[in-house]
Amino acid sequence: MELKTHELTKRYGPKIAVNHLNLTLHSGVYGLLGANGAGKTTLMRLLCDIQTPTSGKITLNGKDISSLGEKYRNLLGYLPQNFGYYPDFTALNFLLYIASLKGLPQEQAKRKAEKLLEAVGLSNVKDRKIKTFSGGMKQRLGIAQAILNDPRILILDEPTAGLDPKERVRFRNLISSFSKDRVVILSTHIVSDVEYIAEEIIMMKSGTILHFGKPQEITAEIDGQVWECQVPTDHAERYGETLNISNLRNLENNKTVLRVISEKQPVQNAVQVQPTLEDLYLYYFKGEDEA
Amino acid sequence: MNNLLKFELRKIFAKRVNLLALSFILALSLMFSFATLQNMYATDGSGIEGSGKAAVEIDKQIAKKYAGPLTDEKVQEMMTEFKPGHDLHGMNAKYLYMNATQSAAFSRFSDMNGDWNGLSVSDVFGDEVIKIGYTAGWLQTSQNLAKILIVLSFVIILITAPVYSGEYGGVDAIILTTKYGKTKCATAKIMASFMASFFITAFVLAVNLLFAVTIYGTDGLGCSILFAHQDFVEGYIPFNITCGTVIKYQILLAFLSALAVTGISLIVSSLCKNQMIAFVISAALYVIPVLLPISEVSPLYRVIVLAPLFYSQYISIMSVGRMANGWLYAVWAIPVALMIAIIGAVFSRKKFQTYQVG
Repeated sequence: MELKTHELTKRYGPKIAVNHLNLTLHSGVYGLLGANGAGKTTLMRLLCDIQTPTSGKITLNGKDISSLGEKYRNLLGYLPQNFGYYPDFTALNFLLYIASLKGLPQEQAKRKAEKLLEAVGLSNVKDRKIKTFSGGMKQRLGIAQAILNDPRILILDEPTAGLDPKERVRFRNLISSFSKDRVVILSTHIVSDVEYIAEEIIMMKSGTILHFGKPQEITAEIDGQVWECQVPTDHAERYGETLNISNLRNLENNKTVLRVISEKQPVQNAVQVQPTLEDLYLYYFKGEDEA
Repeated sequence: MNNLLKFELRKIFAKRVNLLALSFILALSLMFSFATLQNMYATDGSGIEGSGKAAVEIDKQIAKKYAGPLTDEKVQEMMTEFKPGHDLHGMNAKYLYMNATQSAAFSRFSDMNGDWNGLSVSDVFGDEVIKIGYTAGWLQTSQNLAKILIVLSFVIILITAPVYSGEYGGVDAIILTTKYGKTKCATAKIMASFMASFFITAFVLAVNLLFAVTIYGTDGLGCSILFAHQDFVEGYIPFNITCGTVIKYQILLAFLSALAVTGISLIVSSLCKNQMIAFVISAALYVIPVLLPISEVSPLYRVIVLAPLFYSQYISIMSVGRMANGWLYAVWAIPVALMIAIIGAVFSRKKFQTYQVG
């Protein structure tokens, strides 16, 4: 399976959300990273065919997705950023409704819905109205509806928003076990989620792709630019004003360990360390508006 | 498809606001029916009088005496039987109300003092054969229905306005990415909207008509609307048709109204992102034709009465004219309502299919 964008562009008036994007995706988990306004959500909506490109096109195995219609949507699973639901529907009924929309036969839909509710930890509240759910529960229901039809292309926009650490682990395991022979694209601000499960990272800025590759490949971009050093805790804040600090950790001896992204050695005792995806993210997006 | 239709209907009928609106229209129907009955009064002029159900029985007894075609002899008998036995203190006897039959006779054949005005049946009604009987109950029911059907149109707008616009609040992104989201789902929404509108209309009509049958019986349905009491003389339908025919037209127009109003509401719903705005715009489009300054003599009037509001307010559309085959001009509402419904269905479906989630 090959999902490909060709010079894909989306404009909203004078603003370009996606700018002549060329991307080729095969089976695997892709992590989409970028600050707010980078064009991630627009790209996902274009891939889902719920927004029309201003120019360019998207093809699946060489065929324009807009001409594939039901055939394409049958392969699709999507969790939007702001997951909408019917407050008076129960969790089970909501999934059965989505299953009908996805064309699942009734018996299969019921089996599948029950199984997924179990998988996302909602089986004990399946008959409760969604309006009584917490944010995390709604998000889990959203994840369940997205994979209800065993989609070959799964697109998840901020799937871990509102999930507690235990739920995030459950989500990561679910996606990992699900992703074989499928295209899974997920965007998140929680870089560690992507780091754990994404095989490839797509880093976007201003509608264009900054980086596209395996995590270890793209972090090589800042090899030699990530440092760790110990400074007196009293001075840590002052360093923060001048240095790009990706992490700080207080020690018991009134010292603080700073993780600094810098082309040059930031302080005398700083030592180079292996860059992570989070370092790379901060390298590019430090100071940009984040959610 | 059946499953999708079931879910779309559930979405409509599970909403608390819709259930409240349905309860309201049911309560309004019962309130109008009972209030009308309670306000009825009749006296036979010889000391027997009553209100409510008793008035209906008195009216029916009197009407029974004169049942059949209206003749000059019957007019004379009525004028004699109901001659006022007291001073009217300057009131025109045409407006005297003792019972439905007396009022019908006096409003056409009485002078100021309650004496015969010299007009014959053919002077008043031409060559028409006027079948008389107890019509007051059904005519009141018909007038109540007009008010209730206008309210019903707003209820239909209320339940159908969110059909698309309600989805634009967030579920649209999920629906439109599913296999049938842009095809069968849109069709199911349209079908559910029309089915819900028809069901509610049938329910409201059934409640009102059952009440009328129970209280007023069916005798008056075969009688002409032209020999009706004073309230139905001016500004009423000027054709010699029976109460039953009026009710049949009203039933037809009620369903056509449901059809057209749903069509309008679907169009607006597919265009608006907010269901409240969709409701307000649809309601405004429904009401606007009655506010236009077009008089009954204007050629445009024949066009404007084909707007859905006039289907509920049936008198205007049923008064426009009668065709050579005996049908009223009101039958033109059939193609108009069908056209609005078809345009509503096709346009809204297309709009939903191409909706850009944002």
